[in-house]
Amino acid sequence: MFRKIARVATLSVALVVAVTVPPHAQEQKGALVFAVESLGAQTLDPILEGRPGNAVYQAVMYDSLVGFDLEKGGVGPGVAERWELAPDGLAWTFYLRPGQTFHNGDKLTAHDVKFSLERQMGPNSLASAAASMRRTIKSIEVIEDLTVRVQTTSPQIGLPAGLSRAVAPEGAIMPKAYIERVGEEEFRKKPIGSGPWKFVRNVPGDRIEFTAVTTPHWRGRPQFKDLTILLVPEESTRVAMVRTGEAAIASIGPETMLGATRAGLEVLSVPGTMQAVFQFWGTYKPEVKDSPIAKVRVRQALSLAIDRQQVIEHVMNGKARRPHPFATFAYTDYFSADRWKKWADEAYRYDPVLAKKILAEEGYPNGFELKFANTALPGTQFMVNIGTAVADMWTKIGIKVTLKHYEWGSFAPLERNQGPLIGWASMYRTAGRPDAPWRYDGAFSPESIQRLLGDTDNCQEACQEYVKTARALGSELDKTKRTALTDRMVEVTANTWTVVPILEGMGYYAINTKQVGQFDAIAGRHELGDVFERIPRPEQKPWKK
Amino acid sequence: MKRYIARRLMQGVVLLCMVGTIVFFLGRLTGNPVDLMMPEDATAEDRAALIQTLGLDGPILDQFAIFVGRAIQGDLGTSIRMRQPAVEAFFDRLPNTLVLLPWAILLAMLLGIPLGVVAAVNRGSFLDRAAGTVAVLGIAMPSFWLGILLIFVFSVELGWLPSGRMGGPAHYVLPVITLAAFLVAGFMRITRSAMLEVMESEFVKLARIKGLSEGVVIWKHCLRNALIPVLTLWGVFIGNLITGAIVTETVFAWPGIGRLTYEAVIYRDFPLLQAVIILKSILILSINLGVDILYAYVDPRIRLA
Repeated sequence: MFRKIARVATLSVALVVAVTVPPHAQEQKGALVFAVESLGAQTLDPILEGRPGNAVYQAVMYDSLVGFDLEKGGVGPGVAERWELAPDGLAWTFYLRPGQTFHNGDKLTAHDVKFSLERQMGPNSLASAAASMRRTIKSIEVIEDLTVRVQTTSPQIGLPAGLSRAVAPEGAIMPKAYIERVGEEEFRKKPIGSGPWKFVRNVPGDRIEFTAVTTPHWRGRPQFKDLTILLVPEESTRVAMVRTGEAAIASIGPETMLGATRAGLEVLSVPGTMQAVFQFWGTYKPEVKDSPIAKVRVRQALSLAIDRQQVIEHVMNGKARRPHPFATFAYTDYFSADRWKKWADEAYRYDPVLAKKILAEEGYPNGFELKFANTALPGTQFMVNIGTAVADMWTKIGIKVTLKHYEWGSFAPLERNQGPLIGWASMYRTAGRPDAPWRYDGAFSPESIQRLLGDTDNCQEACQEYVKTARALGSELDKTKRTALTDRMVEVTANTWTVVPILEGMGYYAINTKQVGQFDAIAGRHELGDVFERIPRPEQKPWKK
Repeated sequence: MKRYIARRLMQGVVLLCMVGTIVFFLGRLTGNPVDLMMPEDATAEDRAALIQTLGLDGPILDQFAIFVGRAIQGDLGTSIRMRQPAVEAFFDRLPNTLVLLPWAILLAMLLGIPLGVVAAVNRGSFLDRAAGTVAVLGIAMPSFWLGILLIFVFSVELGWLPSGRMGGPAHYVLPVITLAAFLVAGFMRITRSAMLEVMESEFVKLARIKGLSEGVVIWKHCLRNALIPVLTLWGVFIGNLITGAIVTETVFAWPGIGRLTYEAVIYRDFPLLQAVIILKSILILSINLGVDILYAYVDPRIRLA
């Protein structure tokens, strides 16, 4: 009788365990190997790395004050589970998740947040927003162990977004006590973070190794035991490594997608990671007054001449989308995305007949000469092909395009000095980020580097309207009014046809399905640094055939 | 000989000064590293602050003066990207390249010299033309193409060898073949020319008259003398290997100084680029000097001249 009871009890416990604990949930095994084209500065100190490097490999071991909305993309909870703006708009209070620890066991507290932000703003920081942070952040106060307040010099509505890895790397949280104890040099050699992966080894020019934390983590407990991020600059080699199983995942460009698929690899496309655009430089300048591109309708005609679907199909192998207006995406904050999608579908249509008609009406029935600078930011070589396709399409409506190709490092000084680019069109790109005002400021503010609508000496109607809207947006605390102002900002600039989106691009990865299970990336986030912990092993979630 | 070495050393110093100056100014003509470090929506304020932090804000001649002053003391600056002393970064990666070179040279000699001998002995025949074809292919095939082709065949299709990265002996095979391919042609052509010249020599005719077998005449007497000009090419070939390693190391994800050079150029990492080029120049100059001294010892005619 006793045996029978024991047997039934054992079976019941086994049944309960089997039902409540999914298979393999407790196991962490195997190595996840990821091959990437660049490891940036390949340093594990967040103040020495830029955005892409931070997102690829630093995100693996550091958490960010503000994180991601994993469903929609864009900003969501991170180390702080919530945050609120003071009624006067001059302070943000961040409330941290309880129970977070660094890899050495130290508790993650508001003191670490204050220390990390101040370190990012410090004189030795190479953070791209260090100077802006110094100007806009007045002080950082620890209210209590899990509450920190950031006082700003003026209303900074976009501050949480700026401290989210969805936008920038400056929100990475570092261990105050550890760095103060061992010093910066030692911290760089043996870095400690609070993310789901712990640092193991950094081999310059070759790889960075991590191992999974064994305790639960709010970002997810890794299914693999180890993670190795390999630096493999050549794309063909990366794909070969995935084919042979030397790597499980490799970043690829759209031009490699077909080959990877034919070779039996799975191709993962991450939506909304960038926008390819063309833009016109200095159209408001007196010296461009008589140029065709000084006319809004001519610029619109050039947009109508572009068959975006053809570019998507043939340059991007079908893995791209028709765009929203400039620098906006489905996940853009405070923005009427659906309304603008409908607008963009109509406005960015292909209508070469209308394009030619507009040109004729504007006095250019036989087209005109246009200088077009084709360039691509690092890691987006396909942009050159898009630029070439666009030039061809303009040629078809009679534009005599002089196409000049620039390597990005050579193009950037032209952009800054502007002189050589005035009166030109060029290719450009915008990264997928949820905060449109930041990017708009970089393109349209009269003080910005690009200053596409006007400069401080010459700010005409559209420029003035943009400045007025952007200023109002910067201090608007009400969410509904903020959305209306963002929409207005988009409307003002879109109607100038100064920066015109061509397509919304994606991030692409070749995957060996025998090495990793099915997973999704985060919309708008090209890099996988915040995704590795959610990648299952192949037996846990096989890819659909 | 001492005067010869001293003169060569002086020439080397002058050359290094010229290389350093050219790299300093040419590098800066290609753009600014800050443009590659900042996101596209960076403000002018953030950009200016980063330029200042990196010490790139002064007039270019002032920067050059600082560079020269520090270089004289052996400090070639700190890598902008890695925040590590540039010399240290170079020497961290140098061993990874050096382990490839002897194998590439050895393989090239093992293939190139016998091919050159066979071509010379069978001058004008099918074998000569076949060896010539090998030489042309070796020179004409771009390293990146050959490397990718080898990866496709031996890693992806046959699964015999790894696709890239440093590791055990198997990891060396494809990079070494890729590096050696260019040299095979060089060794073959110089051996062939030297052999043809030596084979017309009086002492070779004498050896044949004495009744020595053709094998001994060719492989012992002719080849030994023909190898002297081959030796002089060592310096050139090692220089080619060190510079050619940029492509091979990039294709095979090999973390050597070739890749470091590539990264320095791509990221406009001026201090690192300057250090890499200057240190590579020192390396190549030293090897060339060593080879020339060795050559002088091997061939007394050089010493007398």
